[in-house]
Amino acid sequence: MTWWRALVEAGAVPAAFVPPASTGRTDLEDGAEAGTVADVVEDAELQAHPVLERSAARPPTAVSFLDGIERWSVVAYDGVVPVVRAYVAAAVRRRDARGALHTTHQRARDFAIAPLELMNAARRQALSAHCPDVEPVAGERVGQPALFLETVEAAVRRARARLERELAEACLETLAAGEWLVVDGLLSLSPTVARHPRALGVIKSHGAQFLEGRGLERALTLPAGHRTSVFRVRGGHTRTEVYSWYLRLWPWEGNDLLYGLLRVEARAHSETVTRAAEVSGWLLAERAPLATPDARWDRLLYPLHQVEEYLKSRAPRDLQLRRVSRLPKTGT
Amino acid sequence: MIARPDVAPVGRVVATELKPATPHQFHFWTANDTTIGIGAIVKVVGAGTGDGGRVVYGVVTDGFAYSDLATPLHDVVGAEGDPARAADAPTARQEIRYWTAAVLRQIPEEPLQPVPIAQVYVADDADVAQALRMDAYLYSATPTAIPVGLYTSAGLEAPVYLDADFLLGPEAAHLNISGVSGLATKTSAVEFLLASIFKHFPAHKGRVAAVCFNVKGPDLCFLDQPGDLSDEDRRRYERLGVPSTPFERMRLYAPLKADGVNLNTLRTHPDLVSDVEPLTWGLQEVVDFAEVLLNRDDIDAKADAFIDFLRDRVLGRSFDDGFGGTHRVQTFADLDRLFRAIFDGLEITAGGRSDSWRTHHIATMRKVRNRLSNISTRCKGLVTDDGPSSDLPWGAFEDRAVYVIDVANVDPLGQDLVFARVVSKLREHLERRDLGVDAVVVFVDELNKYAPGDGPETYVKKMLLDISERGRYLGLVLFGAEQFRSQVHRRVVGNAGTQLFGRMDMDELATPGYQVLTPATKIKLATLPVGELMVRHPHFTQPIFVRFPKPPVLRGRNGVERFPPAADLPFEDAVVRQLVHLDRGVRPNQVKDLIADREEDDVRRALAAVRRTRPENVLAYFRKALGGRVALETAPLRERQTPSVPPLNPISDEPY
Repeated sequence: MTWWRALVEAGAVPAAFVPPASTGRTDLEDGAEAGTVADVVEDAELQAHPVLERSAARPPTAVSFLDGIERWSVVAYDGVVPVVRAYVAAAVRRRDARGALHTTHQRARDFAIAPLELMNAARRQALSAHCPDVEPVAGERVGQPALFLETVEAAVRRARARLERELAEACLETLAAGEWLVVDGLLSLSPTVARHPRALGVIKSHGAQFLEGRGLERALTLPAGHRTSVFRVRGGHTRTEVYSWYLRLWPWEGNDLLYGLLRVEARAHSETVTRAAEVSGWLLAERAPLATPDARWDRLLYPLHQVEEYLKSRAPRDLQLRRVSRLPKTGT
Repeated sequence: MIARPDVAPVGRVVATELKPATPHQFHFWTANDTTIGIGAIVKVVGAGTGDGGRVVYGVVTDGFAYSDLATPLHDVVGAEGDPARAADAPTARQEIRYWTAAVLRQIPEEPLQPVPIAQVYVADDADVAQALRMDAYLYSATPTAIPVGLYTSAGLEAPVYLDADFLLGPEAAHLNISGVSGLATKTSAVEFLLASIFKHFPAHKGRVAAVCFNVKGPDLCFLDQPGDLSDEDRRRYERLGVPSTPFERMRLYAPLKADGVNLNTLRTHPDLVSDVEPLTWGLQEVVDFAEVLLNRDDIDAKADAFIDFLRDRVLGRSFDDGFGGTHRVQTFADLDRLFRAIFDGLEITAGGRSDSWRTHHIATMRKVRNRLSNISTRCKGLVTDDGPSSDLPWGAFEDRAVYVIDVANVDPLGQDLVFARVVSKLREHLERRDLGVDAVVVFVDELNKYAPGDGPETYVKKMLLDISERGRYLGLVLFGAEQFRSQVHRRVVGNAGTQLFGRMDMDELATPGYQVLTPATKIKLATLPVGELMVRHPHFTQPIFVRFPKPPVLRGRNGVERFPPAADLPFEDAVVRQLVHLDRGVRPNQVKDLIADREEDDVRRALAAVRRTRPENVLAYFRKALGGRVALETAPLRERQTPSVPPLNPISDEPY
């Protein structure tokens, strides 16, 4: 018997609320970097540099790609207190010489999130007895369901980030010489990862801006196949200092300023500046194959897309979003 | 039995609402690098116990590969419109190898349920036997399994057996094999299968023989000579339990050439020609099958009645022609004399006022005479003027013997006659159970010529239909081969319980008869290598691909190279050869002295008499036959001495 079934038997009301934001992360979620400052370290001021032609780029022989997913759903109500089932997973898939990806590391966590102190004793006991992994959250916002769900979402995101960080660190421990690790998202959340010479963070959401004035304009209007000068990103209290630069994969003209725009993070080291052109050429080569049908294909590298698809295929099916109807979804 | 080297699953069943698993079909995926291919037999093992542990055997009928590419346009965009760049992509797209399999068998068979979503394994020997329901006749107390080839897949190799009860009767019978010409598949497959039948024909079913009509070149002329087999072929023979040796008992029958003494076959090399028996027939044999000689326009009640009259009242009897002449008709010459006497009688005695004789109209008689005369002209060598001289050993067929009748160089009319008579005689003797064997396989190549799907209803076609529809009760089994199955009469191919397919022409595969095959199976058939066949058999619910070894006999073309046909011998030497063949003690010079200055017709008659009689003292009998009796026997003296009245109209001017 599942723990949420036990909870229902203990008197909770079954629920099946899957908020849209629970199926993955949005493009804006990495925007918690507001207030950070950037210093250009490559040129006197931020410049646009052409990147090597794709055919001239030489991706490293072995590269591992790390990505994660998160899913959650309110599965029961204890009175008005939502009890949430959450699932987070992350995987590292290594690309071999033939270009095929093989999973080398993966972790998943299927757990409950609930404001335990607000729950009925019997149901709290049922939850503790049947669910081995319960993440308690503060219950101040329970009275405002929409706000409480934001709390839940933040908890899930933290759990996923923790999982990704652990996995990245585990992967780096076994990373062979000459092998790279490309992380989907911020590199700077883990000091170990942020300081590794062959770790890259690829950020496709641009909730925070590190530049201003002419530099910002140059960055946001980068032509396709160009990168900016490397700049230093000094983070807040949760972040480690890294070097970063923007890279335009596809022409933005006719689309929008962020179309095809990536921000790359690497360790804060002079070698990063030296290698920025080479790494950019390599990442530009990753434009193909396209990461379709994902809507973010203009910025999503295909290997990361594949890691995500891999994780999705292993995720619990009952946490899938059903937007249109709660009736069983059919192929026809 | 080959032990399964690795019991790891090779795939997993997948089912979606659009492509669900059903009781008759399922889908599964495998790794991209897999040994699975079209025609592979797989086993699905349910994970549970009881019905949950259901085992399903299937054969792969279709395969698909695709990637996660949403639309081809995305590939163009990714490669920036340059196909050369498409290969530069550092990451390979996720791909799938997705297979469709048709269910061969489920265990338990009841209740019949959809295939479980479970692991898929490559089938081993035992699985193949189960999957094809061969266990019923392979492991029974009285096994009736006949190896037809090896199923090979995924490094495994399992013998596939046909059920003799369904190949040679009585449950079902007949075999049909189709395939494009020139790939050494149809004839080779039949040769191998005959060897297999001879080895594995169950003892409780009695004795078996084969009659093969060689209709083109030297195809079947060297079945008793060993062919060149590779070690791999020998290993396959061993695996199938079939001896890799040529046929021990092979008899080749060939008509004579027009000269009446040289054999009309390509097996005339001095080392082999002594094993060739002449096939020659006389008037009686021809008249019995006169219908064969009549075309559609000829077939009428009047002609039939007159032929029946000749057969019942004239042939072999002393017969009064009504004009004062007495005839004993035994040869074509006798018959022609009778006709002339009748025509003369009508002209002279009746003064030309009557155009009927014994109720038969003169035109009918002229037509029948014309047809009968034609055969003796067109098939000279097969049809002789001397009564029956050399025929198949009716009543004394040997067990496990192949009788090859070489009609490759015979006029088509003669081929029809040979076929009709031989099959009729086989049928007649099998009905009486006095042929010497209990079952006979009749191999006929070029079925689309003898039993075409369209065209006139010939006597031969009717005979083939009769065999295919009723032969199994008698043990008369038709093995037919053709290039285009769609052009053969559908009742002939439809009655073949077992069907083999070699490499097929795509146009042929587009005909309605192949609609049940998937496109992938058709492609496999269109590209099938030499030595592979697709088999359909009543016990197999789906077509199965098998590989068979090269036949253990010398192929016709190689045979002609190794044993080049000898040039025709001069008349005297040919006579000597035939007599020496009957008695090795005969001295050539004695024969030559005997026949010197003798009429060739007389010599031929004497030779025919010796062949027919097969006396102990061949030379003495030949001398006696040559001395007088043969010449006298063929025509009454009175008639020979009476100058005949020339016919009113020369034969060549007759409109018939």
